[in-house]
Amino acid sequence: MRIGRLLRVALAGCAIAVPAATTAQLPGIGGLIKGAKNAKNLGDSFRKISEPEEIKIGADLAGIILGVAPLLKYPAKQRYINNLGRWLALHSDRPDLPWKFGIVDTNDVNAFSMPGGYVLVTRGMFELMRSESELAGVLAHEIAHVVRKDHIGALQAALRNSAMTGFSDYVSVGGQAGSLVKTAVVNAGKDIFTRGLNKNDEFDADRMAVVIAARSGFSPFGMVGVLQTLSASPDEKGFALLYKTHPLPVERIERLDRAMGTKMDALALADVALPNFTVAPPAVTTPATTPRKKAKRKR
Amino acid sequence: MLAMLAGAANAAEKGQIIRAGELYAQPFIDAVSAAKLTASQPVTIIERRGAWANVQASGKTGWVRLLNVRLEPAIASSKPSSGPGLSSLLRSGSMGQTVTTGVKGMSEEQIRASTPNYTELAMLDTLAVDGTTARAAAANRKLIERPVDYLDKKKGGK
Repeated sequence: MRIGRLLRVALAGCAIAVPAATTAQLPGIGGLIKGAKNAKNLGDSFRKISEPEEIKIGADLAGIILGVAPLLKYPAKQRYINNLGRWLALHSDRPDLPWKFGIVDTNDVNAFSMPGGYVLVTRGMFELMRSESELAGVLAHEIAHVVRKDHIGALQAALRNSAMTGFSDYVSVGGQAGSLVKTAVVNAGKDIFTRGLNKNDEFDADRMAVVIAARSGFSPFGMVGVLQTLSASPDEKGFALLYKTHPLPVERIERLDRAMGTKMDALALADVALPNFTVAPPAVTTPATTPRKKAKRKR
Repeated sequence: MLAMLAGAANAAEKGQIIRAGELYAQPFIDAVSAAKLTASQPVTIIERRGAWANVQASGKTGWVRLLNVRLEPAIASSKPSSGPGLSSLLRSGSMGQTVTTGVKGMSEEQIRASTPNYTELAMLDTLAVDGTTARAAAANRKLIERPVDYLDKKKGGK
């Protein structure tokens, strides 16, 4: 590993080789931050990133999506998706990230993830789900992007020509240098959300998603049902961004078919409908503003 | 009227075969062939069952691999009048909320123009549950963990 790193650094420029070799021997965040300081460009800072750094970036990128659509104010649904999402994440290779799941309030059909364990699903997507295993498929696909650090890879590529310094300020103290880096990260994040990840990242995430869902006790074929739904919808307005940023659903079905074959047939389970949320009143969100209603309901 | 109600309860979906293959009499790979299917042949999906879909194709009923079915593209299924929209047609019924109007979408332009919202982000943090809570919820729901290996890209790459 270290040889590979040294080789890359040597190819990138001899002047950097000595300090990089020194920091490579220092374990822990301190060493990584020093490595980031010595990085030739901002993109290099993403090459070997620590978990706290990843979470910090993820928070800023999640903020972008929340800036367009706020969280759905429906606690029962948010609790449901967090329990389900966290359960799925426990069956991934990064079970201990501080995973956070949310439904954002827009009709548009989409789902997003961010480094460090952030997953946001639109209400439009949530309402299209025929079953829990379909929702498990969507969440597991996003979890897969986080586990595989697909966004980190994309950020690294996007910022490789940025000669900016200040990455360590961005993740720790902020300040002027830090805020410049933050702007660069947020803008690169907007690019990723509007242009999408690599096609292959999407196929790989689909393949990982069916496994995570199956490990968690859901039918792996839920994901297929979602892709079928999407295969019908290219001309609907609410699907435009999802279509622009992902390979064609039929191509995704074909790739999954190639990988799954009949291997997962035995893992199929009967589909279970999503809980009927209409039973739980959504008014419980803000008890401070509606104390009277709440009291009435109790009686 | 009754037929319409029955249809709404189990919303039969219009699909198409992706690749030419068999319409099986039973949902098994070694089942007897009930008919030959051609690529793009229209089918009506009656039921999804695990790896299989029960479909009706050219008057015959049988089973195809779920991974060999796509839905018919929207152009064919959406009505000329704006109607309820595809998303509500696709909905299975259990979630049956009507589409709320006046809620803004999430377009490319809106994402480009977005200012990160840290108030909502703080709220998102409060929604998170820990592993223990999620495990308890899953146990409550009787979800069973299973060991499953990651998949290769290639077919049959066992």
